[in-house]
Amino acid sequence: MKAKRLTELALLSTIALTIFMIEQKTPNPFPIPGVKLGLANIVTVYALYRYRAKEVFLLVITRVILGAVFGGNLMALLYSAAGSLLCLGGMIPLHRLIPERILWASSVLGAVLHNIGQITVAVLVMRNAGMLMYFPFLLVSGCCAGAFTGLCAQLLLHRNPYMAGKACSQSDT
Amino acid sequence: MRPSTGKTVEILQDGNVLYTFDLSRTEDQVIEVFYQNRSNTVQIQDGKICVQAAECPDQTCVHMGYLSDSGLPIVCLPNRLVIQFSNAELDGIAN
Repeated sequence: MKAKRLTELALLSTIALTIFMIEQKTPNPFPIPGVKLGLANIVTVYALYRYRAKEVFLLVITRVILGAVFGGNLMALLYSAAGSLLCLGGMIPLHRLIPERILWASSVLGAVLHNIGQITVAVLVMRNAGMLMYFPFLLVSGCCAGAFTGLCAQLLLHRNPYMAGKACSQSDT
Repeated sequence: MRPSTGKTVEILQDGNVLYTFDLSRTEDQVIEVFYQNRSNTVQIQDGKICVQAAECPDQTCVHMGYLSDSGLPIVCLPNRLVIQFSNAELDGIAN
């Protein structure tokens, strides 16, 4: 990996981590476990369409681990790791099929996959199938949050000619 | 709210039942449940149950308020705590 690319990824990780931390410190208006906006995923979706799969993977793992460490909530690591990994596992192949112009749709799919991963871990960790009652709430909120973060990423992709142009020229090489 | 008759509620941690209450008959009380030195303060008052305070980063369980008739459990993910109507009771309603 070129130093320049590495620096860009480090920068994106930092941005994602900052967004993640600020969101975590903001009181959640929805008192449902596991529901949040997930603004840090704007960076993930952006990266998904501008960087290679391996790089996006590294970016997300870095953010998830550091986020759990800095946020002082290591329990959340399990949930976010499971959600993120399932989400990435689905999104890396899927984003090739979904054009950038309907990027929000791919973000919604990612959110749904994330929710499936989350609830699976929740049921396993809590050893309580009652958790499944939250799944519909998670799905609805996940779709809204996914559409929102997707739209934000879409705007970013269109408004950042510097990054976009450079990434294109790099992918040609 | 339906009249609170014969509502059995259980407090679970890590999937194990720690307490079982019949809310209609239990007197008001406050229970501390510990998980790895972090506590959840569960309050039972007037036949309703809620988490009054929690030593966890997200405080979601506190914000959820009283356990509602919808059957949706109160959950504290960091402290692995679940407060729900017991399954036997749910089956009873279904029958």
